Amino acid sequence: MSLLAADLRAFFAAALKELRQQRRYPTLFLGQLFWPAILPASWVLMGRAYSGNDPQALAAFAERAGSSNVAVFVFVGYAMYNWLSALLWGAGTALRQEQLRGTLEAVFVTPASRLVPLFGPGVGTLLPMALTFASNLLALRIFFGIFPPVAAVIQAAVIVVLGIPALYAIGALFAASVLRFGEVAPVVQLIRGVFVLACGITFPVAMLPLWAQFSAKLMPPTYIVDDIRRVLLRGDTIADVAGDIVIVLCLAAVTAILAVAVFRYLELSARRTGMLGRF
Amino acid sequence: MMAAAPAVETKDLVKVFERGRRTIWQRLRRERDKRDRFRAVDGIDLVVEPGEIFGLLGPNGAGKTTTMKMLATLLIPTSGTIRVLGIDPLARPRDVRARLGAMLSGERSLYWKLTARENLEYFAALYHVPPHEIKARIANVLAAAKLTDRADDYVERYSTGMRQRLALARALLPDPPLVVLDEPTVGLDPQASRDLRDRVRELKAQGRTVLLTTHYMEEADQLCDRVAIIDHGRIVALDTPAALKRTIRAEEVVHLEIGLDGDDSAVLDRLGQSAIVARSERSNGTLTVTAHCASARNFVPAAFDAARSTGSTIRHVEVVPVTLEDVFLALTGRALRE
Repeated sequence: MSLLAADLRAFFAAALKELRQQRRYPTLFLGQLFWPAILPASWVLMGRAYSGNDPQALAAFAERAGSSNVAVFVFVGYAMYNWLSALLWGAGTALRQEQLRGTLEAVFVTPASRLVPLFGPGVGTLLPMALTFASNLLALRIFFGIFPPVAAVIQAAVIVVLGIPALYAIGALFAASVLRFGEVAPVVQLIRGVFVLACGITFPVAMLPLWAQFSAKLMPPTYIVDDIRRVLLRGDTIADVAGDIVIVLCLAAVTAILAVAVFRYLELSARRTGMLGRF
Repeated sequence: MMAAAPAVETKDLVKVFERGRRTIWQRLRRERDKRDRFRAVDGIDLVVEPGEIFGLLGPNGAGKTTTMKMLATLLIPTSGTIRVLGIDPLARPRDVRARLGAMLSGERSLYWKLTARENLEYFAALYHVPPHEIKARIANVLAAAKLTDRADDYVERYSTGMRQRLALARALLPDPPLVVLDEPTVGLDPQASRDLRDRVRELKAQGRTVLLTTHYMEEADQLCDRVAIIDHGRIVALDTPAALKRTIRAEEVVHLEIGLDGDDSAVLDRLGQSAIVARSERSNGTLTVTAHCASARNFVPAAFDAARSTGSTIRHVEVVPVTLEDVFLALTGRALRE
């Protein structure tokens, strides 16, 4: 068995371990079902209350957002927010829990690659996220009578999958700092806030000042959320957004390389200072 | 024929930690680093031969765990060299980890919300155990740990002793030639401690090398082929338990409790004429003395005479054989548990 194959097995074992632990708390899955349905629905209703269903208001929205379908726009944004949160927190939270529980050193004395505990547990967040997306779709159908074309949903799912490496890498970048600094939740909160503000998650990027719109182009979530909306709302295809996907994959590669380098540096620092076993 | 490389070899091993914090503000301002430097390990030279049970005995904070963590690649030494099974852990850490079974933080190193089998499946993958061998390896280590019938229970339902046995079972998954155990019996009841010591003896019988830390002198005495007594990061003595006990030149140890009102120097002087007063402590009118002597039969009457002649009273006498605790006391002037 080659080293790479052994590490891949370890990677999937880490994901399985996370899923097994999540399964011990089945009520957590209820949260994945209800909240994603109720919260974005309340935002849509709030928007309707502000506009009073005035055609002029909807036209203004369509001009900035590229579609007058407020419900789908908001639901896609909320799904992206959830997904971003899960992936930003996933790896870091898993490493932090290992540190607090006392299992981190036991994992670190095995010959498995350090990238296994960094990236592996995050895979465990994918199943709950799939539940969240399904809940979003169901809520759109039940509350607003909308169900995007199946072909568009499938293409959106492909964009979601292709976007995973980028968001994963961003999450890993912060997870690395857990090794050296322990608690990094406030930093992750800050970064999530920046993404929500800058990447068009809950409102169109066109609302931002020009310099902020330029910054948004350096952030993978901007492309991912925009491309999902394009295929769901404007009838674009994967081929139409291929350029964006290439950019996202390039940004993912750069971020992943950076995350691995930061992780290696901070792991060395933690082994010098003894921070691995402290919390 | 070439001799096998030592299982563990360290030369002038040093680990220095900083005490206190250096804030980001201090770093940004490039202020001088005013943190204290603390030498947790201070020049340890060690050779552990293949197939032996080697103990690091010392009080809490002596540097035992820090030494173990450096051997297990969890800490980088400040200076000095290490070879584990002939491999430099700084240059080839993954090679060392693949050959090392480590039980460092006991029951806390397990996932309590998983079953024992699920824990072992996960760690078997991390230890790169070939897929076709995983089932058999897990069955073997579970049987050796006497946990087969509880393998599918959540670890949170285990007793502390069972969790320690499971942690040891996990360390044996890679079938390692070298096993390092950090305080393996701490927190266990006497029966569970005995069980775990039996397991350690089995490891030696299987031809493995065991390096363990402990602050229990009986454990080191009963279990180890050789013991290094460690204090303030330094090895103060290293030999077989029997040879270490011979170094204090006493056949027996006598513990006395003497009631007295005035100065204790007179009675201590008198006692010192018939034995070596290894330790004395005064508390609320009671002088507690530990004396090393050739024969308690001769010393005890002399102690009563000494007490009478100085107007004090012996309230309690206890004669015990020499232990490693006495060796530590003779070498450092302190008890292991202080």
